[in-house]
Amino acid sequence: MGSAVVVENLGKRFSAYASDRPRTIMQAALSGLRNLRAMDHFWALRNVSFSVESGEILGVIGHNGAGKSTLLQLMGGIGRAEEGSVRIRGSVGALLDLGAGFHDDLTGRENLMVTALISGLTRQEALAKQDEIIRFAELEAFIDNPIRTYSTGMGMRLAFSIAIHTNPDVLLVDEHLSVGDIGFQTKCLGRVRELRDRGCAIVLISQSPKQILEICDRALLLKRGRIAAYSDPETVILEYEAAMHPDQKPRLPSRKELEPMGQAVQITAVRLDPQGVIRSGDPLLVEIDYACSTVLEDPIFLFRLTHEKGAVCFEVNTRNGGVRFEQLSGSGTVKLNIGRLDLNGGKYFAHAGVHGKNWKSLLEYKDKVDTLVVEPSIIVEGLMHPPCEWSQVEGVADVETAGEKELGGAIA
Amino acid sequence: MVRVVRNGRMKFSLGRSLVQRFDLLKGLVDREIKLLYNRSFLGIAWMLINPLMQLAVFAFVFGLILPNNSVDNYASFIFSGLLVWGWFQNSLTQATGAIVHNRSLIRQPGFPVAILPVVTVTTGLIHFLLSLPILIIFLLIDGVHFGASVMLLPLLMVLQFGFTVALAYVLAAINVTFRDTQHTLGVLLQMMFYLSGVFYQVNFLPEKYRTIFYLNPMVGLIEAYRHIFGKIGVEEARLAEVVLNWKLLGGIGLMTVVLLPLGYQVFKRQSERFVEEL
Repeated sequence: MGSAVVVENLGKRFSAYASDRPRTIMQAALSGLRNLRAMDHFWALRNVSFSVESGEILGVIGHNGAGKSTLLQLMGGIGRAEEGSVRIRGSVGALLDLGAGFHDDLTGRENLMVTALISGLTRQEALAKQDEIIRFAELEAFIDNPIRTYSTGMGMRLAFSIAIHTNPDVLLVDEHLSVGDIGFQTKCLGRVRELRDRGCAIVLISQSPKQILEICDRALLLKRGRIAAYSDPETVILEYEAAMHPDQKPRLPSRKELEPMGQAVQITAVRLDPQGVIRSGDPLLVEIDYACSTVLEDPIFLFRLTHEKGAVCFEVNTRNGGVRFEQLSGSGTVKLNIGRLDLNGGKYFAHAGVHGKNWKSLLEYKDKVDTLVVEPSIIVEGLMHPPCEWSQVEGVADVETAGEKELGGAIA
Repeated sequence: MVRVVRNGRMKFSLGRSLVQRFDLLKGLVDREIKLLYNRSFLGIAWMLINPLMQLAVFAFVFGLILPNNSVDNYASFIFSGLLVWGWFQNSLTQATGAIVHNRSLIRQPGFPVAILPVVTVTTGLIHFLLSLPILIIFLLIDGVHFGASVMLLPLLMVLQFGFTVALAYVLAAINVTFRDTQHTLGVLLQMMFYLSGVFYQVNFLPEKYRTIFYLNPMVGLIEAYRHIFGKIGVEEARLAEVVLNWKLLGGIGLMTVVLLPLGYQVFKRQSERFVEEL
C-alpha cells in the first residue's frame, strides 16, 4: 500500500505559436505549413515531485500563473506531461470547472443526473445519492426548475455538492472552497475533512493562507512552475507571505534571478545523536553538514521537529539562538545541542533548512531528513513529557477558598 | 516518459465500468435529445417532420416537374434514402464539433472523451429508429413485401454506425486545428448528397461512371438498405433473386476497421492538446 498520489519529476511544457499561425484550412493552404510549428517553449511546471497519502490534505499555494491549475489538471489526467509521471491509486474526483457542464434549459435534477454520470457514477449510484446531494446543496425547493432560473451561488452549490458526493479516493479542488455564503463554506470544509477522515487524499489549491493553515496537513508553494517550498503549512505560508509582501522582501526576483532551491547551499547530511531511538528526556545532538557553492551572507540555519501527524513540536534557528555567520563559504557543520528532549513517545521527523539573509528566501530545505522515535517511560497523552512530580499537602487549599470568596462577592 | 497510471480497486471492476459507460452514454444521449426538442412547440415530432418535408420536395420535383419513371415506388425509394443519408449527415455535422464544443467535459478527470462522437451518432441512430415506422407505413402502402433479408438490417446499422463514428473521430480531430472544418464539411456533404443516389438509381448510370460512384461508401450502404427494405430500387431486384453486394459492404467494413482505431487515436491526442491550449 503506497501513497494515494505520487508525482515524480513532473514537467509540462507549453508552446507559443506565431500570431499568424493558420487557423483555417484555407489559410494553411495559402501560407503553406511553415507557420504550424511552435516558435517558443516554456515550462509551466518542471521538476515537481511530491506525494499525498490517503487521509492527507495537501494545500497548493502560489501566485497567479505559478502553475497550480496546470498541476491539478495533469494530476486529473487532463493534458499530457512532457516529463515525469503521476501515479494515482483509485478514483479521482475533481472540482476544476465548477458547473461548467450545466445546461441552462435543463432542470437542476436533470443536470444533477448527467453531471453525476460524467463524474463517474453509475445511474443506480446517482439515483441513490440524489436526495443527499440536493439536501447538501440546500436546493430542495428549486431542484425541478431549469438551471437558468438559478443564481450563480445556487448553481455552484449544486456543482460542489455533486462533486463531493462521488466518494473519490483522490479529490482535486481548484480554489472552489469559497463557494456560497459563510454557512455553506463551513459545511464544505466540514465535508472535505470528513472525506479526508474516510481516507480520501485531497489536493486543494487555495489563495488563502488561513485556509491552508486551517485544514491542510502539508503545503506546497509553487513559484514559476517550480517547487519553492514543500513542508508543513506553517513553513510554507511563511515563505509565501515573505514573497507576497515586497517590504519584507525588497523586490520580486525576475525569472533569471530566481535560483532553484539547493543551488547556493546544500545540506549534505543531517546527523542525529543518538540515532533512531531515544528515551524521553534524553539529550539530542544535531549536526547539519552544509556545502556552499557561493559565499553566503548572514545565512540562517533552522532545525525543526514535527510529530508524525504534522504538528510542529519545536523549531529553533541560529538567529534566535544568537549565532550569526557574517559570511559563509565552503563546507562545514553546524551543531545544535538540545539539552533534553522532553517529547512524549512517538515518531518524529527532523527537518533542516537554510534561509538567506533576513529570512529573504529559503535557500535549502530538507523535509523529513531523518526520523526519530521517542520511547516513552510511561504512557501519557499529548506531545510533551517533561519531568513531572505530583505531591499532596494535607489541609484546606488556599486557592479554593479564594474562589469561593470571589463568587460570593459577585452574587452579593 | 509520461505515465499516468491508475490502479483499480475492487469497485472498479470491469463490470462496473461497463455499466458506468453505458449509463453515461444513455444519460448524454438523453440530454442531447431533451436539449434538441425541449423548448419547441412540436417537440420530438420535428424529427419526423424534417425528412417528410424533404420527401415532399423531392416527390414534387421528380414526380411532377422532372418525371422520372425509372424507379417504382418513388416515395418509399426516396424516403429510405433520406433517412439513411440524414443519419449520416446529421451525425457528422454534429460530431465535428465534439472536441471544440465540449471543453468542460473533456476537462473532467476520468471522462472518456472518445464517447462524445458515439453520443452524437447514437442520437442520430435513435432518430433513425423512431422514423422507421413511418418508412414501414410507406413501404406497406406501396405494397412491398419484406423478405427474410430484413434480418440483416441490424448488421447494416452496425456497419453504418461504425463507419460514421470513425469518420467523426477524424473530422472532430481536424476541427481542433482548423476551425472551418465544420463549414467545409457542410459543402462537401451537400455535394456527396447529390452523388449518393438518394433520389436516383446509381445502377441506371452509364457503366463508365458507375464504378466511380461506387467508390462512395454511402452509395453501397443506401443500396443495401433498399435491398433489405423489400428490394425496391435495385435494378436486379425486379428481375430475380439478387444477392447483396457483399464486396461493397465488405469494403466499407474494412475501411471502418482501419479508420476506427486510427481516428480514435488522433481524436484522443487532439482532445488532450485542445484542453491545454491557453
